[in-house]
Amino acid sequence: MSISNPLPLALVPGDSFIHNVSPGPKMILVVGYVILAFSTQNIIILYSMAAIAFIFAIWAGILKTFLKGLLILLPIGSSLLALQILAPAVEKPWTAAAELGPVTLYIDGLYYGFVLLGRIFASLAIALVMLMTTHPSDMFTTFTKLRVPYTLNFMQAMTLQLIPVFQREVGIILSAQKSRGMKGSGFSAVLPSFIPVFVGAIERVQQLSISLESRGFGSTGHKTSYRKVKGKWSDTAIAVCSIVIMATLAVMSITRGSWNLSDQITFSANFVLGLFLLVAGTFLTIVTVTIAFMFRK
Amino acid sequence: MADEHFNAADADAPAILVEQAHYTYANGNVVALSGVDLRVEKGEIIGIIGQNGSGKTTLTKLFNGLLKPSSGTVVINGVNTATQSVQQMAQHIGYVFQNPNHQLFARTVDDELRFGPRNIGMSEDEIDQRVAEAVEFFGLHSVIDEHPYRVSFPIRKLVGIASIVTMRPSIIIFDEPSTGQDHDTTKVINNLMSGLREQGTTVVCVSHDMPLLADVVERVIVMKDTKIIADASPRDVFADAALMQRTNLMAPQVTEIALQTTVPIGGTIALTPAELADDIANRLKPRAKTGS
Amino acid sequence: MSKPIIQFDDVSFSYAGTDSFALQSVSLEIREGEYVAILGLNGAGKTTLGLCVNGIVPTMLGGNLTGKVTVGGLDVSEYPVRELAKLVGIVFDNPEFQMSQMSAAEEVALGLEHAGVPHEAMHEIVSDSLAMVGLAGFETRSPLGLSGGQQQRLAIAAVLAMKPRILIMDEPTSNLDPIGKQEVFDMAAKLNGEQGMTVIVIEHEVEVMARYADRVIVMDGGRVVMNGTPQEIFSRVDELAALKLRVPEAVALAKQLEARGAWKGDFPVRTETAVDRVNAMLKA
Repeated sequence: MSISNPLPLALVPGDSFIHNVSPGPKMILVVGYVILAFSTQNIIILYSMAAIAFIFAIWAGILKTFLKGLLILLPIGSSLLALQILAPAVEKPWTAAAELGPVTLYIDGLYYGFVLLGRIFASLAIALVMLMTTHPSDMFTTFTKLRVPYTLNFMQAMTLQLIPVFQREVGIILSAQKSRGMKGSGFSAVLPSFIPVFVGAIERVQQLSISLESRGFGSTGHKTSYRKVKGKWSDTAIAVCSIVIMATLAVMSITRGSWNLSDQITFSANFVLGLFLLVAGTFLTIVTVTIAFMFRK
Repeated sequence: MADEHFNAADADAPAILVEQAHYTYANGNVVALSGVDLRVEKGEIIGIIGQNGSGKTTLTKLFNGLLKPSSGTVVINGVNTATQSVQQMAQHIGYVFQNPNHQLFARTVDDELRFGPRNIGMSEDEIDQRVAEAVEFFGLHSVIDEHPYRVSFPIRKLVGIASIVTMRPSIIIFDEPSTGQDHDTTKVINNLMSGLREQGTTVVCVSHDMPLLADVVERVIVMKDTKIIADASPRDVFADAALMQRTNLMAPQVTEIALQTTVPIGGTIALTPAELADDIANRLKPRAKTGS
Repeated sequence: MSKPIIQFDDVSFSYAGTDSFALQSVSLEIREGEYVAILGLNGAGKTTLGLCVNGIVPTMLGGNLTGKVTVGGLDVSEYPVRELAKLVGIVFDNPEFQMSQMSAAEEVALGLEHAGVPHEAMHEIVSDSLAMVGLAGFETRSPLGLSGGQQQRLAIAAVLAMKPRILIMDEPTSNLDPIGKQEVFDMAAKLNGEQGMTVIVIEHEVEVMARYADRVIVMDGGRVVMNGTPQEIFSRVDELAALKLRVPEAVALAKQLEARGAWKGDFPVRTETAVDRVNAMLKA
């Protein structure tokens, strides 16, 4: 029986320009994105980075799966912004925007909230583009070239592969429990069902490690690779351009205080109130739906 | 609404009634069942055979409501599964999964045997009695306080079966009860089947193990490419060489021998060595007499 | 007679942390090109015996080993598993648990990568190995998307790529349907017959083993208790019954006929033999 991968983490096959860029430059781009995102507090740069990742996603024709992957931002983003409005991560005194029953909403933390969100948004977006356009084996080969320890690299590759398998196992186990009349109420009822998942995982790993060992996994000598990653001049160009542009932006962001736009950008009290209602509502909806889904009959 | 359907459960209804059931997996357009009709009376013991992917598992999952038909109806003891949750169906029907590791999770074998009965609201006294019976029958005395994962695989498989049997459902589905078993534990399963027959439990046994089926079932459903293509006694199914070939199945060795020896000269289609031995010995006797 | 490729010389083994013996004073010789079936109840020591041959026991799964296991002239306790992997291929009951790669080709190539086989040489070995198990053209398919029988044959291709002289299969078909079983056993018989590969199968299905094996080894409680041709072993019906082991139905039939005074001589272990004998009796 074939296994479909409902998780938006795996390769979306394609033959676009983005797909054909070697894993090396893509990894440089991802690492560069993360470094730049966490160096700058300039929301224009941050959201432009995210926008560029979106353009890549559209170019590669993976927009649908890409957006699915970004859904994870909804709970993270909404809780993050709500938190910054309720309890800003900046020095007091804070400026109140509105009173909402017992809670006070503040304006001051919001810029920083958008910066944090932008950092996560940009990094996640580019990482998804890379994961969805790079064959895992090519990534594996490149990591090996970069001298990432073989075992570590192998574990990372395996984990990605096993996710759909474990999802299927969880499904079977839950149906076995339901067939025995399990009442799905409270985590305490559901949690024990995961014992079989863990036991299954351990047995699988043991069996696999014996199987791999029997195929020379432990060998210390020179290892070769079935897949070859071909370097192209365009790859070098992309790598060099990414490094130069992102390094410049990072250095400028750190050295020039004026690039931090927190003083220039202010939010109106009404905007803060409206945004809070929106994000708090979103967050609560997600939590409710998730719980309802977990305990549905 | 659901209660009305429960009331509809009556003594005269067949155990399993499937009418024009189709099933298509949601995540694609994979058709797993197309137009299946099946009626199983209370107390019948049936086997379902067919290659992997023929639709066997999908069909049995329709029985206990784990899957609901995309179209058509599945009625169990007079109850339409469409209106019931799997947990509600557990009152009627027990499902023994192929891999006990998918099923067991309690801290001890004892807890494991009690889990199902508790879920369906059986009284503690009754549970005690059923667990004691199961321990006796499956020979689990020595492991009763062990963790289910500390016992050997064949015993674990028996625990998985026992954990359903203690629920005393009127219908039990077995998915490959004899895989990974040695001869010893397979015997326990054979005995279980005859015990269930005496109790009047309806049994559905999905298996590739032809000798097991030859021993215990009265009726074999053959599936191929999402359809039921034959529904007959094990004798008739095993004797149908074309059918066996088409489904890539193999009759028990003794049946093969009978088909090439006694059957062409009017013998019965033997399912067990003893049966064929009787037939052959009877054919030799009269001649021995005339010879003397 | 060909020379011995596997020798167990008074081997006993207990897994670390246990004091019961998984193997007890096992002495055994398997010759190159033999097809050997190992029978026994679960827990009789069959799997441990198999794992000794490629050194997983005691190198990877530790414990206390006494005696000597020699494979292809090498003492297994002195060589790492990765060296013995070139000599011995092993597959297990659950094919899915042996899959780790994105494509069938990479699954087969994995061992070659570990062994440092040059990239240029790999493609040919991979496609040859896949062809050998009847999976030619499956290179880019995902291992997890294959049927059980295909997965198990892929697992076998993955060890064949290493060009072992010995193939060990530990209940290779217990998770497979009848067609999957047949695919695997037909393929093993072909490797044994055409390439002279030594095949060791741990298996419960006695009818199948009576058909394919040159030799049957019966284990009980960590000991080798019987060792002989299928004909010799399966004729010892009462002894096997005492060990709670089945005999092929053909033998059971002859035994039943003997009890009715209607059978004399050797018991048949294969369908054809039984059919011929019964037909001869009926005609007489």
